[in-house]
Amino acid sequence: MIRQPNVILGNDELLVTMGKKGDLLGFFYPRRDHAQHVDESVACIHTGEKLLWTNDSDWHSIQNYIEDTNIVSTKLYHDSGIRISILDLVHPDVPVLIRRFKVQSQKKISGKFFYYSNFNVGETSNKNSGFCDSDVRLLVQYRQNYYIGIQSLPEFAEWQIGKAMDTIWWTNSKYDMEDGKLQRNNEDIGNINNAAGWDLELEANGANEFVILIGAASSRSLLYKRMNELSKMSLEHIFEKTREYWVMWLSKKKVLKMPGLEGYENLRQELFSAYNRSLLTLYLLQDREYGSFVAAPEFDANFEKCGGYGFCWNRDTAEIVLALKHSGYPEYCDMFFKWSIGTQLHDGSWFQRYWLNGDIAPSWGNFDYSTQIDQTGSTLYAMDIYYRILEGLKKVEFLDGVWISVLRAAEYLMKRTKSGLHESCTDLWETYHGIFTYTNASIYAGLIGASHLAEENGEDGMARRWRKRAEFVKQATIDRLWLQEGYFAKGIINDKLDKTVDASILSAYIPFGMLSPKDAVEKDMIQFMIENIRKKLSVPVNQSYGIKRYENDSYIEGNPWAVTTLWLSEAMFSLALDLPREAEERYDETVDKLTSEGIKYLKCVLAGATSTGLLPEQMDKSTGKPAWAIPLGWSESLMLDNILLLDKICARKAGSEEQS
Amino acid sequence: MVRDLFTFAGFNENTQIVWFKIIYSKEPGSLSLITDFLEAENAFIMFAHLDNLTQKAGEYSVFLELKTDVDPEEFARNIKDLNVVSEVEYGISKYRMITSVDFPLYVVGVRGVIARALTIVDIIKTLFQNAPHAEGLLTISGLKGGIHSAKYFKSIMPLDDSNYGSVIAELFRGVGWGILEIECDPKTYEGKVIVKDSFIADMYGAADQPVCAFMSGYFAGYLTEYFGKAISVREVSCKATGKKFCEHIISLAPSGGTGQEYQVRGDTR
Repeated sequence: MIRQPNVILGNDELLVTMGKKGDLLGFFYPRRDHAQHVDESVACIHTGEKLLWTNDSDWHSIQNYIEDTNIVSTKLYHDSGIRISILDLVHPDVPVLIRRFKVQSQKKISGKFFYYSNFNVGETSNKNSGFCDSDVRLLVQYRQNYYIGIQSLPEFAEWQIGKAMDTIWWTNSKYDMEDGKLQRNNEDIGNINNAAGWDLELEANGANEFVILIGAASSRSLLYKRMNELSKMSLEHIFEKTREYWVMWLSKKKVLKMPGLEGYENLRQELFSAYNRSLLTLYLLQDREYGSFVAAPEFDANFEKCGGYGFCWNRDTAEIVLALKHSGYPEYCDMFFKWSIGTQLHDGSWFQRYWLNGDIAPSWGNFDYSTQIDQTGSTLYAMDIYYRILEGLKKVEFLDGVWISVLRAAEYLMKRTKSGLHESCTDLWETYHGIFTYTNASIYAGLIGASHLAEENGEDGMARRWRKRAEFVKQATIDRLWLQEGYFAKGIINDKLDKTVDASILSAYIPFGMLSPKDAVEKDMIQFMIENIRKKLSVPVNQSYGIKRYENDSYIEGNPWAVTTLWLSEAMFSLALDLPREAEERYDETVDKLTSEGIKYLKCVLAGATSTGLLPEQMDKSTGKPAWAIPLGWSESLMLDNILLLDKICARKAGSEEQS
Repeated sequence: MVRDLFTFAGFNENTQIVWFKIIYSKEPGSLSLITDFLEAENAFIMFAHLDNLTQKAGEYSVFLELKTDVDPEEFARNIKDLNVVSEVEYGISKYRMITSVDFPLYVVGVRGVIARALTIVDIIKTLFQNAPHAEGLLTISGLKGGIHSAKYFKSIMPLDDSNYGSVIAELFRGVGWGILEIECDPKTYEGKVIVKDSFIADMYGAADQPVCAFMSGYFAGYLTEYFGKAISVREVSCKATGKKFCEHIISLAPSGGTGQEYQVRGDTR
């Protein structure tokens, strides 16, 4: 079943996704992509008369992060006057989710507080086993080397281990709660669920607190030890330790100043928050062991409506690690390129997508004609950009480490571009087969990057050869795909020029730099492209405009995307910075216009975030609300790029004003 | 159940089916005035239904077969002109399939729909063929419906040991699910339900195993809500397996301790 999160939290081993009402949607351990152990995990109150599930529509919720942390606050309000405050955090050192529920009521309640879970340990409901160790009050569900446990403060008073989906429905923990008491069955196997219960005695306006620990481990003994140790610590201590961890991690970031944004009410603060949130979110999407990233936490594991997102794409990750580098976290590049060396295919290319450990993932790009050549171009391009910022020994070490990989990738691109444009393959949207502007631009950037690395490695012959091919690709792309209407065609599909306006043609400027504003003709081409994309792909949403992927896009209702909208704003900001002052008649006016227009698109994406600030893949075209994959790492990385560019614009402007 | 609903089969190109909802004042002879008018206009009454809205006003819903040259709007105006009539609404059943005066339909207090039995059985079959734990899933689905029905009936009438069986039997007949015979001792909670012409078993085709888990769940939910005790209902004999009718055994669900699964299934470990 498809359920999109509103918030995520975790640590290096654990990633938790949650709905707006604090219901767990995903519990990924030990990797971000595998295994997802939860089907349902949610609190519930028995009022003495009936059950109130906290994820029901009767509850209203307010959810946000505690500032500059991955700690979540959820407040739930029920029409009957019950209020629940939930504080969720994951201990920085161990894979344990700590959930504090504070229950308050305007009226007296004599009932129960229940916590219900339907775990699919090992990402399956098959062959699970569950028990309650009543001596230590620990509920455990396990399969092979995955153990998930629930412990609490105060200790739960009653419990049930039951069948989740069986004809013997009365053992089902969900139904067992209906009468306000649990049967205390100690163990069962198969497709099982569990519940823990506490007495809830509240005077009018009184409050009760329950702390629930949901931990993961690779063995029974480790789970017992972990839960035992953690339950001895005070919540205040764990909270402070966790808060400090995130604040410290954020303190390494490149500091923003954003002078001169006074004209935009609250925007400066909004951008500071968005910057921090994107950084904190990307932390949670990365696998610390392998250095790869999930595109988004998986929410369609059965591929019911799409191909899934819980895998690593080189295309997305190349942009993510570069954005993190620009933001002050270069180590993510190092880790990702090490992973890339290990995952490169024999022919020098990279596969459509991978599991985070480097195994190839389920794919519809298994052949030369269906592979996505741009992923190879993007990876090479990113390697070179990273190399350029390194210094001294680090530079030497890095080049030595990646050189063979660069050589193989560049030769792969040479093999696929003999006639200038690339051979037929799948596009970046993973929908069409053919020849594409985006893919050609990425190949150009990849070969230029490889050429630079070859030069640095003393391989001048290779450097010349690759550069020459890059220029050939660029020329062929302009000759064959540039249209007199003032934009690049999407590509050539079924041997026919496809003139659809596709936002990905912006890649010829950002990020791949095939066109440069320093060249007068190319500067005009960039401006024409920006104008045509605005004209043809704008969708009114969030009191501004979002940009859809391409004309007649039908994927998930043809919503505007955060990625494409942020590409456009990034192109505007980049152009504002790159425009040669001397070549522009009304330089200041043009820069101001590009900046203010870019800000409009940026604000549109900010308005399309979740209440917690997570950026989605898309914005619903009717409501402007976040749609589909949430959070999407690619969107988060582009937000970082945009904010950094805007910071530069502000700094430059402030500097020039100071001088004048 | 079929309060203001009319289903037509066949097609007559010379006539049209039009429903009218007539609100009238309840004076002596007022309804006769309306029916006399309809007769005088050669309007053929296919189905009619009376609802006493208040002491003073009533609602008369009527499905008429009118000649195609009759203008329904004008016809409605003429009805409205009768002294005893205060409001008239009308609608045309163009394709003569299914028409309800009041949309949407309601069944046991909540919105209902009409579906072919095969449509539902196709869903059940697909679950059996593709979903793990399909029998459990159907039981749980039925359970919810049964609980709802018992709650609803308790809210609108006194439900007691003398009528709880006949109420659900009437419901099953009304919605076309089957003909029920229920025997259950309210002291021991033991008994059985015989379902004749179960729509699931009838439409499923031949099967090796009983296929009416949805109904077992429904009975379990109904009886659990009525008795206030967890009731187990399992189908031991099913028409789809070649039996004359379906039989569901009722018993009190085991509770507490361990090994419940094996108690009810009678298996040995």
